[in-house]
Amino acid sequence: MRNLTLILLNRCQSQLSRCAFNSTVKITQNRFYSRPTSFPDYYQNPIFRKEDQAKLIENNDLSKLATTPFRPPASYETSSVYHDPIVNKVINHVMEDGKKQLARSLVEKAFENIKRIQIERYHLATTPEEKSKIILSPKDVLHKAIENCKPLLQLTPIKRGGITYQVPGPITEKRSLFLAIKWLLDAANEKDRTVHFPEQFAWELLDAANNTGKVVKRKQDLHRQCEANRAYAHYRWQ
Amino acid sequence: MFSRNLRNICRRYSQNVTFRTVEASPAQQNDNQIGLFYTMDKNLSKKLFGQGGLPKSYMKQTKTFTETSLMVRQPALDVIECIKSSDLNQPAIRYVLYGEMGTGKTLTLAHLIHYAHDDGFLIVHVPGVSQWLWKVPRLKEMSNSQTREGFVDLPLDAAAWLLHFKSQNQVLLKNEDLKISKEYVWSKRETTPAGAPLADLVEQGIARVKYACDVIDALVYEIKQLSNNNKCKTFVAVDGYNCFFYPRTRLSTPTKKVVMSEEVSLTTSFMEITKNDWKNGVIVVTVEDISVPRDHQESYLPRYLLYKKGFEHLDPFVPVKVDRYSEKEFLTCASYYRDRLWLRGPEQLESELKLASACNPYKFMELCAPL
Repeated sequence: MRNLTLILLNRCQSQLSRCAFNSTVKITQNRFYSRPTSFPDYYQNPIFRKEDQAKLIENNDLSKLATTPFRPPASYETSSVYHDPIVNKVINHVMEDGKKQLARSLVEKAFENIKRIQIERYHLATTPEEKSKIILSPKDVLHKAIENCKPLLQLTPIKRGGITYQVPGPITEKRSLFLAIKWLLDAANEKDRTVHFPEQFAWELLDAANNTGKVVKRKQDLHRQCEANRAYAHYRWQ
Repeated sequence: MFSRNLRNICRRYSQNVTFRTVEASPAQQNDNQIGLFYTMDKNLSKKLFGQGGLPKSYMKQTKTFTETSLMVRQPALDVIECIKSSDLNQPAIRYVLYGEMGTGKTLTLAHLIHYAHDDGFLIVHVPGVSQWLWKVPRLKEMSNSQTREGFVDLPLDAAAWLLHFKSQNQVLLKNEDLKISKEYVWSKRETTPAGAPLADLVEQGIARVKYACDVIDALVYEIKQLSNNNKCKTFVAVDGYNCFFYPRTRLSTPTKKVVMSEEVSLTTSFMEITKNDWKNGVIVVTVEDISVPRDHQESYLPRYLLYKKGFEHLDPFVPVKVDRYSEKEFLTCASYYRDRLWLRGPEQLESELKLASACNPYKFMELCAPL
């Protein structure tokens, strides 16, 4: 009996320390299991961020979750200070054939390039106002770039009377994030063979963060197309 | 309100770690400056390391940071102290810098070269042996030596080194006292007469690349003679010295025969100058595992890297270990990076980076890069 309680206690503690139930489900933090995992459906996604755990403790929700089963957090789901879900997402998009380490090194190299370029600009800037305008943190550059590249509308092909119309409509948050990242990577891969990916990616991110460049133009083109096709909008429900 | 102000002030002061020292002359630095950064004069760093001598990643940093700053560390201070207190009229003392990858052996050597330059030493500095013998392009310019049977010359590398030597010793080479002792005959028409200044010999090697290796051979002999005669004091610095003792090289003759490292004429020249059969000299070499191929990188200790042959060649020497950052050094380095905008973000970052990098200077720099 004593043994059993000990084991149970241990289990609860280990679960609590590693994860707890994630009440605010964010798009970027959901893990996608493409095939049945060894964990049944009632297993919850882990809460691995210290902030989220602190929130639970504050609301006294922790005791409720003590007996809930959880999936273990993946290796990239850490409570590290530099953990960033968007960065993680981008790394996963860069990845080919499951070579995550390579993908990570490429993205990090691009960040390094951004940092060097921005620091150089910072030193070249003469007035404090100019200096304050420069975003020095590469992660902030990435966030801004993605924010600037997210489309607000999308075109869906709908067949009416034998003709396929490109019908404008609203876009989900998740898809617009996907498109933004995809377009950024498309633009970065469209380069000379002599230019390395991290270099080009850095330039694309900086351009997009500045609201200029290929990707922002692509977004604006889509918006323009949607505007032009507004006459077809009623096909969405007719 | 007041307590918040106080807290802010406290925080500011706690962040404000002193990480710089204005003492830019290595000879004046002492234990109080350990862990602090000093900035090298721009022209001087260009003069000393313009042709190589600083690692590539560090050169990138100097560009980003817009300055060449070195940390004053214990090993460099120890060696400087030893050089100051030793009697130069005794046979040359050899110091071997060793340590893990990325702990700053090359930068310690750079610090020492700065000291030697300030102290008026004639500097014989080989920035990278591995670029000669191991990390070579597929088609490397090489030729059979014409003066020595069975030896291979690397004329372009030799000429590049002579240029490096010339730029490091611009001031000293103008000195009229440095004369060569005997006549050198290069070909029927080209000779360097006895009593010509040392600079002539160097110029000859740069102008006639074909003879560059022989010039280096002669130069080594002359430098030893001059030092023995108290005409000058010499500081020899070789980076990646153990590469000379790794048996093979990646060079091969036109007949596809792999060249052994002792068959390269540059090897013999620099082996000659690292002997201790001369005085008025200081010899500092580094042994590093990354300058030899993967199959011989199991340990960073000198006996393993130098093999028995190299160890006996250098014996007796003073081993100087270059270690990872100490607590204090790590802190000053982090605040230096923060000052140079290289490291940004919350305070907890540092403790995490400290664990992730295990206080290894190079790894720390690398880990900071994408943040």
